[in-house]
Amino acid sequence: MTRSLSELRPVYVVGIGLHPYQRPGETPYTALGVHAIRQALSDSGLDWPAVQSAYTGTATTAMGLSRLMYRHLGATGIPMAQVENASASGSTAFRQACIDVAAGLTNVSIAVGVDKPLQVGMPQRAAGIKDLGGQRVAPFTHFALLANRYIHEHGATPEQFGMIAVKNARNGALNPNAQRQKPRTLEEVMEPPQISGPLTRLQCCPVGEGAAAVIVASEDGIKEFGIDMSRAVRVLSSASRSEAVYDGENFDVALTVETTGIALQDAGVAASDLDLVELHDAFTVEEMLYIEAMGLAPTGQAAAQIAEGQFDIGGRVAVSASGGLLSMGHPIGPTGAGQICELTTQLRGEGGQRQHKGARLGLAHMVGVGAVCVAHVLAAPE
Amino acid sequence: MAKSPLHPGLYDPTLEHPELQGTSCAKCGSVFFPPITLGCEKCGALPDQLQATSIAATGSLHSIATVHMHAGKDIEAPFTIAEIQLDNGPLIRAVMSGAATPADIGSRVRAEWVSIGAAGESEEKVEPRFTIITEGGAA
Repeated sequence: MTRSLSELRPVYVVGIGLHPYQRPGETPYTALGVHAIRQALSDSGLDWPAVQSAYTGTATTAMGLSRLMYRHLGATGIPMAQVENASASGSTAFRQACIDVAAGLTNVSIAVGVDKPLQVGMPQRAAGIKDLGGQRVAPFTHFALLANRYIHEHGATPEQFGMIAVKNARNGALNPNAQRQKPRTLEEVMEPPQISGPLTRLQCCPVGEGAAAVIVASEDGIKEFGIDMSRAVRVLSSASRSEAVYDGENFDVALTVETTGIALQDAGVAASDLDLVELHDAFTVEEMLYIEAMGLAPTGQAAAQIAEGQFDIGGRVAVSASGGLLSMGHPIGPTGAGQICELTTQLRGEGGQRQHKGARLGLAHMVGVGAVCVAHVLAAPE
Repeated sequence: MAKSPLHPGLYDPTLEHPELQGTSCAKCGSVFFPPITLGCEKCGALPDQLQATSIAATGSLHSIATVHMHAGKDIEAPFTIAEIQLDNGPLIRAVMSGAATPADIGSRVRAEWVSIGAAGESEEKVEPRFTIITEGGAA
């Protein structure tokens, strides 16, 4: 017999911390990570010796980078490991920390996402795979092809994709940890440079550097250390899937349908119950596709509902309240952990200017090349 | 002048019309391109069940993108990348021999040889690029 995370010991997010996402610079990754970890410790009221295992979501920096960073908190000898799962590295590190706590292996664990874009490699070359597109097809062209297919199927316009960047830029302008903090008009979003297909520069996420830290604890851990339960955000479910063979169906959509479906079912909630969604909006078209894949809008209707403001902060469900990957940024390793920080902030009602009022349930979603998908559902403190 | 392939192992440049060299699985019938040799992605069949198969380079245009930026060196942009649902194979990506717009999605396409330039004194490099088939079937 097997069990899902939701059937094991309850897991709570008790501390969060971020190093602002920023353009790649001279800051060592250790400084990015330690900044986020100290903030998460301070947020939880815990001292580092309380943390019993550490998972580091990272994909583009260096081999074996965990201990060189965590030692600055005082080396306690805890188990630590890097978790590489492409864009979903931070989400997967968070899942591993939750599994440790849920299984009873630890009472307090930490997931930290940290990266600098020093070495970005794709596995196809190491696998000796050649295809007709080759280096002519960068990741954004994959999404440009999806965008034009969506235009063909649903009669959407390039401007409707642009409106997603406008919404997320408006949210990002309210987030002091965002890499892009400028509000943008549709005219600005649609300006050249054209990248690929209908995608312009501002419809593609910036890849920079940063860090995000999330401390999770069991009820035993919360009691033992006297953690404030009124700020503890319950992790209702965790789902992680990889691409199967879909016989012509769009694999990005199929994988998100499956993974978020499991996360919602395990949490015992419906998509219509969600107040907040942080999703993998690396490119504008993705937000449109995943809104529909998660069941937040019927197929082909996301564009109209975006235009109506249904996914704005204060709308039916706030999508990418943080600014999303498009505005908060996508430093790879931190991104999935940073989504958990945003949901936690919002579910505690501590979102300040970008607070989505009355937020009780949130879903975090990342995909990664390969392809993989990871989703978590979080609930506000009782 | 002899033809050499831009992508060795994906097609035979000496054929008059391009065909794609893929893999078919004797156990589940799945067809793959680019070819796979280590085991079937669909059913896990062992390599002895995987057979080299020639796939007609014809199909329908699933999507297109005019590409302005890319990761390659010495490649002039813009160019057009297409997703093609092959008649007898999977959804693949390839280069279009001309421009295309989203209005062309759904059109019938087939591959033709395009010369990429000289490869030594007596060879030219070629690759198959796809073109929309106009009325009467002429490319």
